[in-house]
Amino acid sequence: MATIAAPSLASAGDAYAENSGIWSWITTVDHKRIGTLYLWTALFFFLVGGFEAVLIRTQLAQPNMGFVSADTYNQLFTMHGTTMVFLAIMPLSAAFFNYLIPLQLGARDVAFPRLNAFSYWVYLFGGIFITVPILFKVAPDGGWFGYAPLTTTQFSAGINIDFWVLGLQILGVSSLAAAFNFITTVINMRAPGMTLMRMPMFTWMSFVVQFLVILAFPVITIALFFLMMDRFFGTQFYAIAAGADPLLWQHLFWVFGHPEVYILILPAFGLVSEVLPTFSKKPLFGYNVMVYSGIMIGTLGFGVWAHHMFAVGMGAVADSIFSLMTMLIAIPTGVKIFNWIATMWSGEIRFTVPMKFAIALIGMFTIGGISGVMHSSPPADLQQTDSYFIVAHFHYVLFGGSIMGIFAGIYFYFPKMTGRFLDTTLGNWHFWLNFIGFNLAFFPMHFSGLLGMPRRIYTYDAGQGWDLFNLTSTIGTYILVVATSIFVWNFLRSRTRGAVAGNDPWGAATLEWSIPSPPPEYNFAQIPEVTSRYPLWDLKDPAKTAGIEHSHADAMTITDAHAVPMHEETERHTAKSLGIPMPFPTAKPFFTALAMCAMIGGLLVMRTGNMGLALAVMIGSAALMVGGLYSWLTSPLE
Amino acid sequence: MSMLRLRQAAPALLLAVCLLAITACGGTEYPNSTFNHHTDFNTSIDALWDRLLFWGTVVFVVVELALLVTIIRYRKRPGGPAAKQIHGNAALEITWTAIPAVILVLIAIPTVKTIFETQAPAPAGALKVEVIGHQWWWEFRYPELGITTANELYLPVGRTASFELKTVDVIHSFWIPQMGGKRDLITNKTNFLWFTPNADLASSAWNGFCTEYCGTSHANMRFRVFTVQPDEFASWAAHQAKPAVYPATDSVGSTGYVFPAEMLPEHTVPKTPIPAGLEFDDSLLEGGDPVAGMTNLMIGGCIGCHTIDGNPMAQSPIGPNLTHIASRHTLAGGLFPNDAPTLARWLKNAKKMKPGALMNVVGRGEYEPLIKANVDGGLDDKQIADLVAYLRLLK
Repeated sequence: MATIAAPSLASAGDAYAENSGIWSWITTVDHKRIGTLYLWTALFFFLVGGFEAVLIRTQLAQPNMGFVSADTYNQLFTMHGTTMVFLAIMPLSAAFFNYLIPLQLGARDVAFPRLNAFSYWVYLFGGIFITVPILFKVAPDGGWFGYAPLTTTQFSAGINIDFWVLGLQILGVSSLAAAFNFITTVINMRAPGMTLMRMPMFTWMSFVVQFLVILAFPVITIALFFLMMDRFFGTQFYAIAAGADPLLWQHLFWVFGHPEVYILILPAFGLVSEVLPTFSKKPLFGYNVMVYSGIMIGTLGFGVWAHHMFAVGMGAVADSIFSLMTMLIAIPTGVKIFNWIATMWSGEIRFTVPMKFAIALIGMFTIGGISGVMHSSPPADLQQTDSYFIVAHFHYVLFGGSIMGIFAGIYFYFPKMTGRFLDTTLGNWHFWLNFIGFNLAFFPMHFSGLLGMPRRIYTYDAGQGWDLFNLTSTIGTYILVVATSIFVWNFLRSRTRGAVAGNDPWGAATLEWSIPSPPPEYNFAQIPEVTSRYPLWDLKDPAKTAGIEHSHADAMTITDAHAVPMHEETERHTAKSLGIPMPFPTAKPFFTALAMCAMIGGLLVMRTGNMGLALAVMIGSAALMVGGLYSWLTSPLE
Repeated sequence: MSMLRLRQAAPALLLAVCLLAITACGGTEYPNSTFNHHTDFNTSIDALWDRLLFWGTVVFVVVELALLVTIIRYRKRPGGPAAKQIHGNAALEITWTAIPAVILVLIAIPTVKTIFETQAPAPAGALKVEVIGHQWWWEFRYPELGITTANELYLPVGRTASFELKTVDVIHSFWIPQMGGKRDLITNKTNFLWFTPNADLASSAWNGFCTEYCGTSHANMRFRVFTVQPDEFASWAAHQAKPAVYPATDSVGSTGYVFPAEMLPEHTVPKTPIPAGLEFDDSLLEGGDPVAGMTNLMIGGCIGCHTIDGNPMAQSPIGPNLTHIASRHTLAGGLFPNDAPTLARWLKNAKKMKPGALMNVVGRGEYEPLIKANVDGGLDDKQIADLVAYLRLLK
């Protein structure tokens, strides 16, 4: 901590004191506050998903346990997957997109601030919609992948799957709206001089992810829409009695589902690409290749979906093609790993908590990558797919990768978001318990899987050779509970009692560290002109960046009258006193989102048999939504 | 610093554990291991696996070592060298793009070769077996031999078994880890899979599982596989193809080959506990009357779903074929041992024995979720005991 700049801001904790109260949160269109909302909400859902995992692992601690029933277990594993993918990791990434993309670009907000608020509210309502049923034991129970025909009314007549098929459509609206917003922001709102190839790596990876969202989510929306029509209106897209081919669902789902994996991992890659250079005191090794490999991963990600389906009998030719495509992805991914290591090579590595999480991502994601190559080989995969080996694999990718990266990001950016550090001692405890618990929980699953244990089973018989591995996994999960509790305590406590951080507590290179922590509502009083990839190092330690190309922005591109040379801003003003126009707070996105969710949720009323009421709810909410949208679109932004 | 050392040691430890466990994986304490070469199919797969494991281990060691060396060597130290401001190195980056590509080629070639080998049409003279998935049990048919059975599969060693995989409801997946890879049972579609149990394999029993999530009792959709000598198979098949005739000395006397109960390895004997609150007076089983039991087949509604060849009343194809139920070692999708007390409880309240089971609750006074009420017809314990006595004769 010796290298950390002396605290320069006394009032760190109450940056928004003038702007608090529930109503201010409901009406906010400030990307930082929306980012904060995302962070809190997603962390809450992360705990919910984690709690579901604890119940799952308790049931599996020993053979033939009766801790939960088969039906409850099936709801738990469905919701654990759904929650972690759609309600925890994606929105945790979204928290960083919101908070960081404008700051890293030198912008004052995202392109569409109100749409941004709308995305968040849709996510919150969708999350509640899909989560609440588990409290009444009517949660979705078809798996996060919801394979037809199991999810059709013929085999799942209850209301459970209805929540899932509607909830995911709601959440898709949120992701799509956010993706268009961030793409527009990145394309249009970069500071003068910030060419695409000068963007910070996190923003680059986020930029790639938004395209994946735009291309992947419509596909699952179609799949879900078909299923919804089947379940509510008697169409026969997946009706097996009418001759439906259940592989329609699987192809549609995985055309979405595989890019989704990269949607979950690329933001974490971006975060560690910020953390590693900072604590190695070196620029990122091979910036261009890091960008290209990110784009390659995203692109190839659309051509490998059927490797989730090697057991369905697609035939030798299709199996071979998808196998080779899948192996190809290992190349750009491997490049990233080596470039990160090279980034640290001949640096001055400081083992701060975020750095430890970032290093752990490299080490642990590598294991997930290796097992990934193992099931890219279809014959070998036939012994692996739908066994615990796969569970081990994707937890090394999503926990060892995404979650480690997100924790690195939280420890790294917490001082920027709150003006205070997360406690280092607690952070170290969190890291080490997390690291040990994670490996204890998931490494043994490689063995139980290869030794014949199928996935998604609520119980298993004694004497199958799996007992020790399962018990170890459960113990690891309990250690993760302790680790996560320490993190939660640290997170809550450090907001008000952490050591005060200045503008640039870590000695980082990018624009977000040139302004106060937490940033004022307007972000940058004067938009700085960027002349290289590392504007803050240019300013503070020009020797470090002497080796790369610098150039001034083309005068034509400097349209913002406020653009000035790169500088640090230490004073805190209000947008009003500086004469910076900021968007008005408004509750219209909130109500529009609420009305939209009510409209979709209104379908559930059909299940009561009261068509009149169902129509009234749907048409009423639709009218409210249209009214809300109209009033939103006709009122000025600022 | 002690923390740092732990971090350094962790991957090495993991690797040690990994190698230890891999070497142990062939042993009898892992009865569902995927590493044994009991069939041609699994021999091909395991050859691929060895290659994957080799290269995986190489990559693991190289990457983790590089990572550890880097973070130890370049940790910030007082008086240590200042960070070198390197922005990249094209030659290096090309190298570590090319090396993984070469490794992948070494994996890809045998992969594609194995795909085409294992997915080729089954060799001529293969034994045809139809595998039909049901929520949550397995139907096995040998169309050439006229046999229909459930949850227990007999295969002669040294002869290719060619499976036609189908399902009557949702998607299931057919997996015998010791015999090779799995294949899904897809609705409205027929899938194929074949393998040849080694000719020198002693008569043995294996576990099979459903590995595609298929609803409530997915975990309870298991089956047994008996790889037996050709003469044993012939004897088993000859008897299984016959109708069950009761009362008939023939049926009771010669039962054909059945995998001997005393040879069953521990892991193939189900240990699922009988759920609490399912009472049955076992003393009634002693005096069960098979003739009365045969009538109870109708009173209990059994004939609505089940077939017993040789019993003209029981000809419905919905549930498992019961013609030779007494020759099987397990009940209910491999969930319970097939003995009289368990069978009695299963008949009395199948839904309590197995979550979501589609079989009706037969026991009088037991709760039937389907009608949201207690069964007031059905069979009482004495009638169930008679029915058990009948079913136990269907060897």
